Amino acid sequence: MPPATAKPPAPVETPIETPAGSARGLRDPGWNVVVWNDPITLMSYVVLVFRRLFGYDFETATRLMLQVHHEGKAVVATQPREQAEVSVCRLHGFGLQATLGRG
Amino acid sequence: MAEVRKRRGRIQLRLNAEERAALGMIVEQLSPQVGQVRRTIPVAYEDAELQAEYDRWVRPEIDRGRGEDLDAIRACLGSGEDVTSLSDDQALAWVRGLNLLRLTAGGLLGVEEDGWEQRAEERVRHSTEFRVLLALGLLQEELVAVLEG
Repeated sequence: MPPATAKPPAPVETPIETPAGSARGLRDPGWNVVVWNDPITLMSYVVLVFRRLFGYDFETATRLMLQVHHEGKAVVATQPREQAEVSVCRLHGFGLQATLGRG
Repeated sequence: MAEVRKRRGRIQLRLNAEERAALGMIVEQLSPQVGQVRRTIPVAYEDAELQAEYDRWVRPEIDRGRGEDLDAIRACLGSGEDVTSLSDDQALAWVRGLNLLRLTAGGLLGVEEDGWEQRAEERVRHSTEFRVLLALGLLQEELVAVLEG
C-alpha cells in the first residue's frame, strides 16, 4: 500500500459491525474477516474504511492497516458467518481485497 | 489543481473545467474495464461452491453500488460548476469510486508489488495509466483527509 498521511487521532465513527473477537461463542467460533494487502489502495483510505465499517478508533484501524501492509493480511473481525459475509461484501464495496474463513 | 476543504459540515470540492473534463474522460475510459481486472473481482471464499453462491447473491449488490459511486462522480462532473458541495455520503461515494478507478488503472498497468511508484521504468512513468493512478491517488488522499478531519 502507498504511504498514508500521518494524522492525529479522530473521534470514532458510528460502529456498524462487531469488532474482532466479540462475536465468539461456544458453539460457533465465528468466521474471520481477512483483509489482504494490495499495492494500489492508499493506506489512509484503508484506515478510513476500517473506522467507518467496524467503528475502530484511529489507533486500532492504523495498527490493522499496518499489519495488512507488513504481513500481507490481517483478521479485522470475527463474526457469525452471515454478519461476516455482510462485512466482506461492504469491504468489497470499498474496493478492499477481503475474504472470510472459519475462525 | 483540485482543492478539497470542509465548510459548514459539508465537503467542498473545487475542480476547474479542464480538471473536470480530464476526470470525466478517465471515468468513461476506465469504467467499462471495472470488473475485468483481477483486483476489481470480489473474491470472498476459497471454496468454489461458496464463491459461486457469493457471485450469485452478493456480487450484483456490489456491482450496483459501484455503478452508483461512479454515477455520483459523473453527476458532479456534469454539473458545470467549479465547486461541488458534497455530503459525507457523497464524499464516501467519491473515494470508493476513485479507488475503483485506481484499482482498474493499476491492473491495466500490471502493478503487483508495493513500491511500484518508485520502481516504475521510465516508459511506464510516461504512460497515461501511471499518471492517472497518481492523479486519482492525490485527489483520493485529499478527500480521505477531509473525511477524517
